[in-house]
Amino acid sequence: MISSSLFSTLAMLFNLSLRNIVRYRRRNFFLFAAIAVAVGGTTLSNALIRGWQVDMLETAVAGLTGHIKLQAPGFADDPSLQNAFSSLTPIALGEEVPILGFAQRINIPAVISSERETRGVALVGVDPANEGISLYSDFVIEGEDLSGPADGRLLIGKALAETLQTRVGRRVVVIMEGADGKSRERGYRIAGVFDAPMKISEELLVFTGLQAMQAALSSAELSRPITELSLVLQAEEDRVVAQRELAAQHPQLVVKDWREMQPQVAEIVDLVDATMAIWFFLIMSALTFGLVNTLIATVMQRTRELGMLRALGMNQRLVLIQVVMECVGIMVVGVIAGLLLGVAMVFGLGDGIDLSAFSESVEAFGMSTLLKPVLTLEDLLLFGGLSVLVGFFASFFPARRALKISPLMAMNR
Amino acid sequence: MTESEQTKSTAKPVVACQGVQRIYQQDTVPVYALRGADLTINPGEFVSLAGPSGSGKSTLLNVIGGLDGFDAGSVVVGGVDLGGLNAAELAEMRLRNVGFVFQAYNLIPVLTARENVEFILQLQGTPNQERRERADTALQRLGLGDLGDRRPGELSGGQQQRVAIARAIVTEPVLLLADEPTANLDSKTTEELLGLLRDLNQQQGMTIVTATHDPIVMSYTSRQVAMLDGEIHQDSASAV
Ligand SMILES: Nc1ncnc2c1ncn2[C@@H]1O[C@H](COP(=O)(O)OP(=O)(O)OP(=O)(O)O)[C@@H](O)[C@H]1O
Ligand SMILES: [Mg+2]
Repeated sequence: MISSSLFSTLAMLFNLSLRNIVRYRRRNFFLFAAIAVAVGGTTLSNALIRGWQVDMLETAVAGLTGHIKLQAPGFADDPSLQNAFSSLTPIALGEEVPILGFAQRINIPAVISSERETRGVALVGVDPANEGISLYSDFVIEGEDLSGPADGRLLIGKALAETLQTRVGRRVVVIMEGADGKSRERGYRIAGVFDAPMKISEELLVFTGLQAMQAALSSAELSRPITELSLVLQAEEDRVVAQRELAAQHPQLVVKDWREMQPQVAEIVDLVDATMAIWFFLIMSALTFGLVNTLIATVMQRTRELGMLRALGMNQRLVLIQVVMECVGIMVVGVIAGLLLGVAMVFGLGDGIDLSAFSESVEAFGMSTLLKPVLTLEDLLLFGGLSVLVGFFASFFPARRALKISPLMAMNR
Repeated sequence: MTESEQTKSTAKPVVACQGVQRIYQQDTVPVYALRGADLTINPGEFVSLAGPSGSGKSTLLNVIGGLDGFDAGSVVVGGVDLGGLNAAELAEMRLRNVGFVFQAYNLIPVLTARENVEFILQLQGTPNQERRERADTALQRLGLGDLGDRRPGELSGGQQQRVAIARAIVTEPVLLLADEPTANLDSKTTEELLGLLRDLNQQQGMTIVTATHDPIVMSYTSRQVAMLDGEIHQDSASAV
């Protein structure tokens, strides 16, 4: 009974607040507009920053890193087939950590020579079918792709092909170290030349079939050696659990997540979160000034009316609730309008902003040349929720003013 | 507040003021708005408070209505001693026991006439259905049956003041206080309004106290009290 009457009292106060917002519509319109533009602008800029972050993360992960990589302990110091492990190593993660895919590779340093030039590269033995999780799947290939793990030809980057002054169908010589620690020199035919999002990949990476490479390099002790197993999860957040489980399953291997493998990227990704928070609070504090000022003016203008409500017997608590409702109400409407505006602007950008004019510096930041805004529901909710919370705290000032109004202020003098 | 204190007994006076003092501090100079006012008002009386400007009429009404405090003496309204009440208790007392009509019409501009009247019932926690019925009854009683859906800005001064009266009586208070309720009205509207107040007084036994300068108002009241310098100067009830 008491709660239902409290509820209808609150409903009445809510009604009153709404009508007061409409009553000062001209003044509130500017406030709404300011809130909407600020929230909309921040939504857009945050979507772009978030897009940059996601892009960097994806680029980092989609390199050959993955979310998690397993290697033999000595590989970091001596990246050679002497620090390999068997490709029969089982990968089993619980259902709560869904995997997008994993790829086994041999990834060792090598020297590649054409008739004209010689370059140091990373020679990577892959099964193309498993490379959907890496940058390999983004390659635009001239000539032919590797046909499978048994393909003994090479796939080299466009930039490298230019440097070596070679092309599809030509032969090159590769010098590398076998599992026995001895150097091998082998001739390879170039099956295809790939165009990658980033030039550095084109310069450094050379691919061939994993089985072909194993056959050429392995020794008797390890039948099907690999030097790395790279794993991509469906959700990046799962990496901690996945890393823990894998480390427990394979104590003889080193299990690292992408943050350990690419610490600079990890740092920038964290910095982005902080930047977004700082940006948000700067905008919000500017808004709060406007909100507080407007609401104090609204309360002062209604001194007599609020005094009258007190005179009639409305207690201070209800006066407080009414002012807070009004404040939060303005904020909610403004924030919703702002979020819609922001979402509209993000969709207006379509595929993203083309940064290819700045491709050199953009790549230096480890990102691709198309900046795609990324809107996440979490960002929107967090952002909207925080704005409304700010409105709630901002209402403290006008509410304090309203509480000072005594019932006598309704009187004639 | 207990049930017995709220009882509108005919035996007890509605208002009992004794030696009430109210001293305002204006730039460190004390202003004696009330300097020992004694006034007793019995149920069913219709009292006018007259007196020159600054004689303390409004101050006395405000003290009786629990809008303002006092510095000495005692004030008992509807059996409740106001001396011991804090701000929240005074608000509750006003809500339950006193109806106010102010000089300026003082309605909530964004609410319709009916909503204005319902508002106070809502504060009292009256259920929806009953609230609506009682508000309509009060509006009809003041001849506003058709105007319930209008907002104050769409009503004349006299109509607004009638809405204010409807709002004041809808809770059936023990006491109706009106500080110069007709000051902003022309004489015809004034007489209409006074007629309504007199009906309320005579038909419902509503106890009404009104501060006024206007002889017409005094002519409608059953008892005329005159104030001077913060004291009761003359009282028709005690005159020979
Ligand atoms: N809040 C206040 N602060 C200082 N002085 C006040 C205050 N309220 C009233 N007074 C003073 O108290 C005295 C009585 O004022 P009050 O308003 O009660 O007179 P009144 O009889 O209602 O006059 P009027 O006929 O002009 O309405 C006046 O001298 C007034 O100046
Ligand atoms: Mg006065």
